[in-house]
Parts: sequence; C-alpha cells; structure tokens
Amino acid sequence: MEQILDSLRQFWEFTGFYNCSWQNLVMIAIGIAFITVAILKEWEPLLLVPIGFGMIIGNIPMFPGLNIGIYEDGSVLNTLYQGVRQGWYPPLIFLGIGAMTDFSALISQPRLILIGAAAQTGIFGAYLLSLALGFAPNEAGAIGIIGGADGPTAIFLSSKLAPDLMGAIAVSAYSYMALVPVIQRPIMIALTTKKERLIRMPKPRQVSQKEKIIFPIVGFLITAFIVPSGLPLLGMLFFGNLLKESGVTKRLANTASNALIDIVTTMIGLTVGCSTQADKFLTGNSLKIFVLGLVSFVIATTCGVLFVKLFNLFLKEGRKINPLIGNSGVSAVPDSARVSENVGKEFDPNNHLLMHAMGPNVAGVIGSAVAAGILLGFLG
Amino acid sequence: MDIRKKIIVAAVLALSLSAGAQNVSDLIVSEVMPVPDSTSLIDGYGAKTGWIELFNASQGTVNFGGCFLTDDRSDLQKSPISTLDRSTRLGPRQSVVFYTGGHNDNGTYYTSFIVRPGSTVYLVSNDGRTIVDSLQVPSDIPVSMSAAKFAHDNKARIFDEIRVSSPTPGSYNAGGSRETGAHRMGREDPHGWILTMVAVSVVFLALMLLWWLFSMLFRKKDKTPKPSRAKGLTPEVAAAISMALEAEFGSEPVAAISMALHEFLNDTVHDNESFIITINPSATSQWAQKSLGFRRSPR
Repeated sequence: MEQILDSLRQFWEFTGFYNCSWQNLVMIAIGIAFITVAILKEWEPLLLVPIGFGMIIGNIPMFPGLNIGIYEDGSVLNTLYQGVRQGWYPPLIFLGIGAMTDFSALISQPRLILIGAAAQTGIFGAYLLSLALGFAPNEAGAIGIIGGADGPTAIFLSSKLAPDLMGAIAVSAYSYMALVPVIQRPIMIALTTKKERLIRMPKPRQVSQKEKIIFPIVGFLITAFIVPSGLPLLGMLFFGNLLKESGVTKRLANTASNALIDIVTTMIGLTVGCSTQADKFLTGNSLKIFVLGLVSFVIATTCGVLFVKLFNLFLKEGRKINPLIGNSGVSAVPDSARVSENVGKEFDPNNHLLMHAMGPNVAGVIGSAVAAGILLGFLG
Repeated sequence: MDIRKKIIVAAVLALSLSAGAQNVSDLIVSEVMPVPDSTSLIDGYGAKTGWIELFNASQGTVNFGGCFLTDDRSDLQKSPISTLDRSTRLGPRQSVVFYTGGHNDNGTYYTSFIVRPGSTVYLVSNDGRTIVDSLQVPSDIPVSMSAAKFAHDNKARIFDEIRVSSPTPGSYNAGGSRETGAHRMGREDPHGWILTMVAVSVVFLALMLLWWLFSMLFRKKDKTPKPSRAKGLTPEVAAAISMALEAEFGSEPVAAISMALHEFLNDTVHDNESFIITINPSATSQWAQKSLGFRRSPR
C-alpha cells in the first residue's frame, strides 16, 4: 500500500499541477489571448495562432530533465528551435516573401523607395532609446529592429545579437504588426492636413517583364555589395523574387511561396512561442522591450509620413505624393499598405492608394533587411 | 542599348569583378620560425627544422597548389608547391605549415631553402611573378622563437603587426583582446549617435542607388496600353461579343470575359497580360456528380 502511495506521490510530482507557478499561468493566459485575438479579430492569424499555442506548450510546467523542453539539448522542440537560434528560418521565410512579392509598384515609381528608407528611422530611434534605458549595444540593436516591423528580420537579428531577448523581441514585433491599423491611423491623421489626404497621385506606369527580372538581380547586387552582412536575408528575398519573375521556374516559385513558407512559418511561430518560458520571458526587460517596440513603430510611422511631406516640398503640382502612404514604409506587408488605402478612402472614397503604398511597403522590406545587415556588421 | 545603359552595366560588372573573390591573394605568411631547438616541431622525417606558416584570411577555401615560397626576391620560383597534391586546398581561417629543411623533394610541405634570421620569406602567386605576401624575420630573433603576424582589427582580417613570440604552428595568431563589435561600439559610441547617423545614411544610400539606377535604366516611355491599342474593340463590340457568348455558354463565362474586357478597355490592367482567355466548357456542369469519380474502365 505504501509503495502504491509512494508511486502516486511520485507521479503527482511529475504533473504540471505540482510544478505550476503563477508565471506559467500568466504566460498560458497570454497565449490564449493571442489565439483569441487571431481568431476573433483575424489579426495576423498565421503567426499569432502558432505563437499563442507555442506559448501554451512552452509554459506547461514540467519536471526538468525529461529532455522534452525547448531549452533541453536534443529534445524535439530544441531541434526545431535550432532554426530560430541558428537563423535558418528567417531567410527561408524571406525566400517565400520574395516569391510572393510583386515589385511592380516599386519599379514603376522608384522615387517611392525613399519612403521605405525613411521609415527605417524607427529602428534607430528605438536603438538610441534602448541604449538610454541601459541595454547593451547588441541588445539595443536587436530591440531596435522591431521598428522595421518585420518579424523574420527581428528574429534573425536578435538570434545573432541577443538570443536571450529573442522571445520578447519576436512576440513584440508580431504583436505590433498585428496592431498596425490601430497604431498607424491616428498618427497619419494627426500629421496630415485634409488637403494633403486628398492628393491624388498619378497612375503608375506599366512595368515590363524585363524590368521585373532585372530588378531582383540589380537590387541584390547593389544592396549586398553595400551591406554584405545582410546577405542571408537580401539574397533569399531577391532570389525568391527572381524565381517568381523569371517565368521559367514556376514550380520553384510556387513551392517557395506556398508549401515552404507555410511550413517555416508554422515552425518559427511555434518555436518562438515555446521559447517564451515564463522564467525567461516575464522579466522587467520584456516589459521595456514591449514599450520600446511600440515607440519604434510610432517613430517609423511618423518619420515615413513626415518624409513624404518634406519630399512634396520639392515636387511639382501633379507629381505630389499623398502623405497617407508614408506609413507604409514600415515593412509590415501588406498590412501597412492596406492602412494607407483604408485611411485614404475615409476621406475620398474614390482615391485608391493601395497600389502606390505597395511601393514603399516592399521598399521597407529591403530597407529593414539592409538595416539589419548594418546592425549585424557593427554590433556582431 | 544606349550608351547610358552600357555605362551602368559596365559599372556594375566592374564592381562585381573588383570584389575580393577567394583566391591566393587571401593567403598571408602568418608565422616563421627560423631557428629550432630541441623543443621545436618535428617534421615527417624526424628532424627538428624551422617552418613557415601560411594562413587563409578569407571566408572561402583557397587552393595554394602551384604557388611558390622563396627567401630570395631575385628567384621568386625557388620552392614550388605541388599542383598534384589534393591537400593544398586550405579552408577558411585555417593555416598550414611548411618545413624549411632545405629539401623540397621531401614532399609538398617542405621548402627547398632554409630560413635564416634576417631573411624575408615571400609567398608568390601561381603565376610565378606576383608576390602575395611576405614576412621579414628579425635578425636578432632568439632560438625557438617565431616572427608572427597578429590582427588587431575586430574581424581579424588585417594582420598588420609583426611580433616575436612563442611559436604557435598551425593555430590562429590571436591578437590582443578580441572584443566584439558591441563592446567596441559601447566604448566608442556609448549613446549610439554615430551608429545611428552612419546606419541611416547607409540605408538611404542603398535605396537611393536603387532609385537612381532604376530611374536611369527604365526612364523610357510608359508602356501602359492605351485604349487606341484596342483597335476596333469598342464597348459596343464588347457587349455584342458578351451577348453572343452568353447565348452559347451561359452567364458565368460571360461575367469573367466582361470583367476582362472592362479592365482592358478602362486601362486598369496592372501587369502585362496575354489578353487571351481560353474557356473549355465541360460536358457536364454537375461537378459533384458521383459518376465523375468512377473509373472509366472498371476492373
């Protein structure tokens, strides 16, 4: 009898109920909140559902030493997590993004590229603030990249510069990407006049297939020569785009833009979620990172809109840019471009800004990869 | 291709070619130990000899087969390195040691000369003329000590300091403190303004280059199809075609065709399209019919 009780007690000590702490419950609640928001509001569901469920998996309290936890060498989760730790997943996602992205909007109006550059200021604003808050330069660089509004880039850079902060950075980046419509709209309205919001931009010219093929090659050569440290991201992005545009590799482009990116997105979301174990995630630093992430989004949006207003001072009437597309310089594709379209339509239902906003939006993807390369080069 | 495009393409090509591809120029003579003692390295024949260490400072593999080592500037091909030995491929950031016993015919990794204090060791490219790197051995170098090159830059790429030190054959000549970029930036730019200014400038530079290049390359005419290209295709003709199609096939194809015609005529087509729509009407429209799932020749 005593032996049975002993076994039962031993089993009880193995259970999650025995090992549970309030921090685990908080993280599980956050995971459920992510899933709820993703399903009910449809905010970034492809990412928030895996991350949310990963949070639940990663925070199931358990007896250490079973070799099943994400931080235990050789466990299944740990093996899958290597794609994040070693930085394999983000370039693969960039391959898929490249294969899905149509750079026509950018090629037809190359001047919009600069908006994508201006919005990267959010990265460096957050970097300066992080340093002021006492983070080490490498940590500050990893936190700053949240302002690029690019999840894979944030994971890639934080895995290289500050692996300990990666969970908080990734969750922060994806959370704010989901909240882009909420964050950007009031800033766009506050910084523009009614007259500016009604600006109608000239229709973009049609882009030939030849231009679309040349763009990834030339774009890659220029950006990679300037920032070789961004090679994994830039290389994959432009390679994926070449697969799409070359017209002779449709099967590869289809795989990259469908099956491959879906698999990798599932893996990256789940493992990033799992990595947010309460003891590593619920810290004062995570709270600071969330605040800094929000600030970086605000700076990025502000700089994008203000840059367009500045740019307009040098443009002739009829060539002016609607500043409502300034927000789309952050590389949350296509969410921020969609915000431009929706806010534009609020003031002029017949003014469609989406096709114009996609230019800075995809330029933002390139810009954030370049910025990540620079930070890696300086701080790595 | 006009002259402007030719210049741009040539510039891009020149830029590509000027980039440091991994070749023998990435090798350095990293360490030389001229005077051995009883504790020195023993070669494959049991002799304690001096040695020369080469280091591949690049991130790619370099094949040094066919290159030359010499201590005589007037005889750059004094000690050739075999081209037949497959082991002459040196991995990134790896080093290789040559014994300087004076017998080149002992094997690939033996030189035909003995290094003396005060002499200079040259590594010569496989063209037999180009000196890739050299290292001068101090004339007062103590016995069993080596002259080695150390790197002090953060990435250990520029080996610019020669020191006499304890020999480390075959291993990396670590410089002073190997501080990370983050440490260096923390020291040199504690508030982050320098990095911010540089990084913002570089992001703008990269994207401005793209802007400039694409504005230059594709400045030409707008190729958007104008309504005039649709010769003879007027809304009336399109409506007549639609009605005929509707009579023939029903309403679904006509909706698709009408949309396509509408986009074409109103100039709202974004990409280059073939403007050919092919519709193969199915013999049956009952797509869920069970008979469609049957084998054609049941066995």
